[in-house]
Amino acid sequence: MSEALDLSLREQAAAIAAGEVDAAELLEATLARIETRNPALNAVVETFPERSREMLAAAPAGPLHGVPVVIKDEWPLPWRAQRFGAAEMLAEATPGESGPYRALRDAGAVIVGVGNMHELGASSTGNLSVYGPAHNPWDTERCPGGSSSGPAAAVAARLVAGSVGADGIGSIRYPAAYCGLTGLKPTFGRAAMAGHHMADVSTTIVSGALCADAADCRLLDSALFGEELEAGAASGLRIGVVAGEVSEDVDPAVREACEGAIEDLRRETGGEVRTIEIPELAVATLATILIANSESLGGITPERLNNLDPELSPLARGLLKFRALLPAIATVKSHQIRTVARRALAELFADVDVLACPTVPAVAPPLEAPVVELPSGTMTADEANVRGGALANLTGIPAISVPVGSADGLPVALQLQAAWGRDELLLDAAEALGRANGRRWVEAVPPPARGAEPLEA
Amino acid sequence: MEAANSPDEFIKASLASFGIEADETDLAVIGAAHQLFWPPILELVALDTSQVLAEPNPDLSQAPPR
Repeated sequence: MSEALDLSLREQAAAIAAGEVDAAELLEATLARIETRNPALNAVVETFPERSREMLAAAPAGPLHGVPVVIKDEWPLPWRAQRFGAAEMLAEATPGESGPYRALRDAGAVIVGVGNMHELGASSTGNLSVYGPAHNPWDTERCPGGSSSGPAAAVAARLVAGSVGADGIGSIRYPAAYCGLTGLKPTFGRAAMAGHHMADVSTTIVSGALCADAADCRLLDSALFGEELEAGAASGLRIGVVAGEVSEDVDPAVREACEGAIEDLRRETGGEVRTIEIPELAVATLATILIANSESLGGITPERLNNLDPELSPLARGLLKFRALLPAIATVKSHQIRTVARRALAELFADVDVLACPTVPAVAPPLEAPVVELPSGTMTADEANVRGGALANLTGIPAISVPVGSADGLPVALQLQAAWGRDELLLDAAEALGRANGRRWVEAVPPPARGAEPLEA
Repeated sequence: MEAANSPDEFIKASLASFGIEADETDLAVIGAAHQLFWPPILELVALDTSQVLAEPNPDLSQAPPR
């Protein structure tokens, strides 16, 4: 059964459908693997074997029939309320059928566990959580990325072949990059979102898949979208390389790998490359942060802030109080900047099909000190990562992170962004990139997934 | 009225005006966040956006209307 555990998501689905793999045996083997590998990773914070068995017993003959998946601690399940990685989440959380849960259930998938996440979804690193941090399978002393830290680490270590995360400011793409996975941030509104505690107020958060490669993301995201994401050729791809610090204030090894990948993509698709200026990018990044942080203020009162759960981290406590000080004028102007950025992108996408830049400017930093060294100096990973991650959430466009190399034994990733509704094109482009490099990076697996001895917890 | 003449005073006064309590750790975190975010916020606030009409209830699943 260990061979079946190491199949891709689509191969598991096909093998079960063909009767070559018994779904019940696969479920038990997956639970056993989680028990063996997870203690060193803390990727999965809760399993519920009986619920999973019940889910399998009732699973329809959908495209993911019998396939085990992990879901982020951001989505309620009928038997479990989300905790948002925190001792207190300042919003009501009750068990229920979230949109992603329904989508997975209706596709026949089996939820085998809940994935860890950064506390309150508030960082690109994943180094803080009420459960303790998840660890990067490539180096367990390194950050797995956040906020979808557990879903990413679980797939990278091949506990499961696919997981569901959420992306409010890069929270699928950062962990995909740090863990060497493919992660799609869908166009706003296309993927299942019901039941999220911010569903009625957030204009940045989406659900999305994290998998080893784009073909698996296509299958899992098709379930989340409720429609089949058709494959295409991405031929003649017009690639716009984003100029400025997002591409240039980058670790030299990351820059080299990403530039090589862009050339690979151009050659594979018979396309063309040009440099693109987005003058609004820096202010758009700030606008995203201000909008995303202000949208959660409705549930906050001074009394609640004065009575926060003592188990909440000091960082989260301070930042929640800081949010109350954000000036209204800055938030109003942020919405104006959103309009400016959306119009600028609409014009850009008349001339290019995808925008390309490194997903993150440096490889996964240490859990103990998540800072990165860039040509401009040392800065926090969050400060550096948000430069490339925010624009898609501000404007609603889709974005994908694709592994394209390695530096110091850790994954390097390229981000591609496309116009609204062109999620399929991003998946096509990611598959073209995989073909161009012989699938070297999407098939790379970290030590725990190569059959090495289980790591010490 | 005298303006707060340092970030520390501004932060303490602002929190107090809302009735939000903060201990030394809170203040250290808020101070660091303020140091990071306040300069770009001031730049944003200084932008003349008077000619920009923000999309009312933008449909973020689509390109903006022309």
